[in-house]
Amino acid sequence: MKFIVFRFNPDTDTTPRMQEYDIEVTRGMMLRDALMEVKRQDESFSFRHSCGEGVCGSDGVNANGTNVLGCITQVADLKEPITIRPLPGRPVVRDLVVDMSQFYQQYRAVKPYLIRKDPLPEQEILQSPEDRDKLDGLYECIMCGCCSTACPSFWWNPDKFHGPQALLQSWRFLADSRDQATEERLDALEGPYKLFRCHTIMNCVEVCPKHLNPTKAIGHIKELMLKHAI
Amino acid sequence: MSLTKRRFDALIIGAGGAGLNAATQLANADARVAVVSKVFPTRSHTVAAQGGVNAALANVLPDNWHWHMFDTVKGSDYLGDQDAIEFMCREAIPTVYQLEHNGVPFSRLDNGKIYQRAFGGQSQNFGGAQAARTCAAADRTGHAILHALYQQNVRARTHFFDEYFAIDLIRDDEGAILGALVLEIETGEPLLIEAKATLLATGGCGQVFRTTSNAHINTGDGMAMALRAGVPLMDMEFFQFHPTGIAGKGMLITEGVRGEGGYLINKDGERFMERYAPNAKDLASRDVVSRAIVTEVKEGRGVGPNGDHVLLKVDHLGEDIISKRLPGIRESSKIFAGVDPVVEPIPVFPTAHYVMGGIPTDRYGRVVTPIQNGPEEVVPGLYAAGECACVSVHGANRLGGNSLLDILVFGRAAGQDIIKYLKENPNHRPMNETGVEQAMSRLTRWEQKGEGLSVREVRDEFRKAMEDHAGVFRTDEIMSEGVEKVKEIRKKLADVRLTDHSDVFNTARVEALELENMVDIGMSIVLSALERKESRGAHSRPDYTERDDTNWLKHSLYFQEGDKIDFKPVHTKPLTVETFPPKARVY
Amino acid sequence: MSYKASGLRAWVVQRITAIYIGLMFVYLLGKFMFAAPASAAEFQGWATGPVVSVALLLLVAAVLVHAWVGVRDILIDYVWATALRVTLLSLLALFLIACGFWAAQVLIVAQIA
Repeated sequence: MKFIVFRFNPDTDTTPRMQEYDIEVTRGMMLRDALMEVKRQDESFSFRHSCGEGVCGSDGVNANGTNVLGCITQVADLKEPITIRPLPGRPVVRDLVVDMSQFYQQYRAVKPYLIRKDPLPEQEILQSPEDRDKLDGLYECIMCGCCSTACPSFWWNPDKFHGPQALLQSWRFLADSRDQATEERLDALEGPYKLFRCHTIMNCVEVCPKHLNPTKAIGHIKELMLKHAI
Repeated sequence: MSLTKRRFDALIIGAGGAGLNAATQLANADARVAVVSKVFPTRSHTVAAQGGVNAALANVLPDNWHWHMFDTVKGSDYLGDQDAIEFMCREAIPTVYQLEHNGVPFSRLDNGKIYQRAFGGQSQNFGGAQAARTCAAADRTGHAILHALYQQNVRARTHFFDEYFAIDLIRDDEGAILGALVLEIETGEPLLIEAKATLLATGGCGQVFRTTSNAHINTGDGMAMALRAGVPLMDMEFFQFHPTGIAGKGMLITEGVRGEGGYLINKDGERFMERYAPNAKDLASRDVVSRAIVTEVKEGRGVGPNGDHVLLKVDHLGEDIISKRLPGIRESSKIFAGVDPVVEPIPVFPTAHYVMGGIPTDRYGRVVTPIQNGPEEVVPGLYAAGECACVSVHGANRLGGNSLLDILVFGRAAGQDIIKYLKENPNHRPMNETGVEQAMSRLTRWEQKGEGLSVREVRDEFRKAMEDHAGVFRTDEIMSEGVEKVKEIRKKLADVRLTDHSDVFNTARVEALELENMVDIGMSIVLSALERKESRGAHSRPDYTERDDTNWLKHSLYFQEGDKIDFKPVHTKPLTVETFPPKARVY
Repeated sequence: MSYKASGLRAWVVQRITAIYIGLMFVYLLGKFMFAAPASAAEFQGWATGPVVSVALLLLVAAVLVHAWVGVRDILIDYVWATALRVTLLSLLALFLIACGFWAAQVLIVAQIA
């Protein structure tokens, strides 16, 4: 099967190029397996990958125009020739490796940790199963970056708009019955950029390899903000 | 070329559960701590742990830490150090509460407490009825814990060196560790990090086997660095094969599936574990279940066109339980095995999963080695925690749910002890320039050009050899051949050349360095395995079928220099309670 | 009010005005399809009635505010140079205010006549 892969090595190339590889596809082959085959053919090809089972979030790439997680994307589900590019909108370090530092910065900006003001009990903080259920669909995020790099609002304002990933995280803590920093979290999201650049384009929902819904989370944040404002 | 240098109080190599938990301690104590990781922290393999973490909270069934201790000692086939095990089982309880306070979204019971499930090898009252001791966040516990710990470090503003690969430790003439030489993967620039204390928390080495549940990054870098720094590796013959990897692929299907009520069947539909472990059945210890599966397949009762696997039946649990408690497993089965466990059983076969052995440490995370007086002298400035370390709490076989516990308890203990060490040793020792040059040569060696073998072919040959010669059943003949093969491969390493010599994000170079590490560790595994002439825990020898407590109730130590094997006694005396004397291990 | 441009308020205003514009659109569509005024005088009579005239004034205001928020959003997305953005926003503001005056004038003149 024909793969057309984005190649750029700043040490040797002045401009990016697309290189063709012929990969023998086996049954059940995942895109990551195919990329590992490419690397077997051509040692100089670089991409990030690790767990191979969709939990570490290393191998987000753009396949035929859509952001996917390589290790859980069946090659058979992609149309030949398969064009592989790095995640869009991020500076390319080399080949499929992009610089994700802004993405991580946005994550850190939402204070992605539980804030508790009351003294801690000696045992667990109690939480009802119903309250715990509210975290389903939020805590599973693996930070692969497929969503934020598919989001036009994030492309235009990656330095100011938090992007779907960070906002999903923000809601993960706002939705947690144990968290006690709702006001601060909401205040920090005020202004036209951090939250309100989301125009519900929903690319994030479409590409999320873990089937999470950042747009819905963003909607919840807006509702909660409104509730607190009036 | 001038080498860039940075100075910190403490250097942590590895950003999985152990490294991050230690880093939190240090950062919160205002120590200057650097965490070096070859991947972004949340990509560390702790993220893949599914089932949960053991602690005798007694939220579901009666429990206490002493029963947990008994199960762990028995699970270890009496090779675990009972002082360390007592410490871990006691610490388990506050550790899980700390995690919960750190934000881990544990599943909950109706009364709001943490949900606990049954796991293999757990009992009430010292070998009685099944216990429920594994605290779980659905089947994504490792993910939940790793992310929460990373988040705690974000809060503490820990200094991270993301995507830096550790090349080697730097040691002075007195044997003290001074820090490490690391490689910034993005630029290809080496960097010397000086530290008063260095913690190795680099995780496991499952990649030495061809079929493994371990990630691409699990190449045992820290263990190999320790070996090269003159530290031995302990109990490396004990490698756990997880009974339920997806057949032919190796991805893990958590023991929690059997904890929730799933069971194994052979081609006749027989629930065969009833024959091998009449009481615990499918929740017998992992080594027992893995051997049972391999035996079923060997004796012609395997499933599939080649009869090469068995089935894990789950559908009787119903869609509700499966979706709620095992959502990740359902997804993985669909993606990798093409079956929906709600309607069809999952094809499974044992997969290389966990190394019980590692860098010998005491229960404070300090690396200990025979130097002059006695077998356990502390290496100044060197700590190890997590899968790369061997405390030893797992002995010859680790119980499910004790791995997350190990990394958390001993990651924290190491962090705490480093804080103490920094108070007693407030100054950096002088740098050993010869040591730095030596470490640099490990890097520059890969600048050699010309014809040679490729990393890929040697790696393939090596991983195949390990799979064939250090698998579930090990005879003298199979393993002797394995030793020869690995020695052969080790020689070949000198002839390996890279074709890509560029600087920026050169993953070929990283893989070459990882291959060297894996071969060093492979050697420790095959040699230790050949040496141990008994069957104990995960080390199963058809030519020595019995456990031999008279001659072999001892830890092995593999030294790289001269490929030497030595031994040291097991700590059979716990901290406060009575010793659990070795008994026949039946489930 | 912080020094920052508002986020939540703009978002809420846009939604409220959208609802009002939507409702009025349906009403006006219905009115002109099924009960269209037969003559200019009749139209004037309808438009200057106490309820309708206020509703129409509100509609004009809603359209202007809605346009302001919407176009501002687009400018924030695509125009990053501060000087250019300020110029465009100013022009937009002038244009919308002019439109407002003109619409008010039309409605008030109709009222007087």
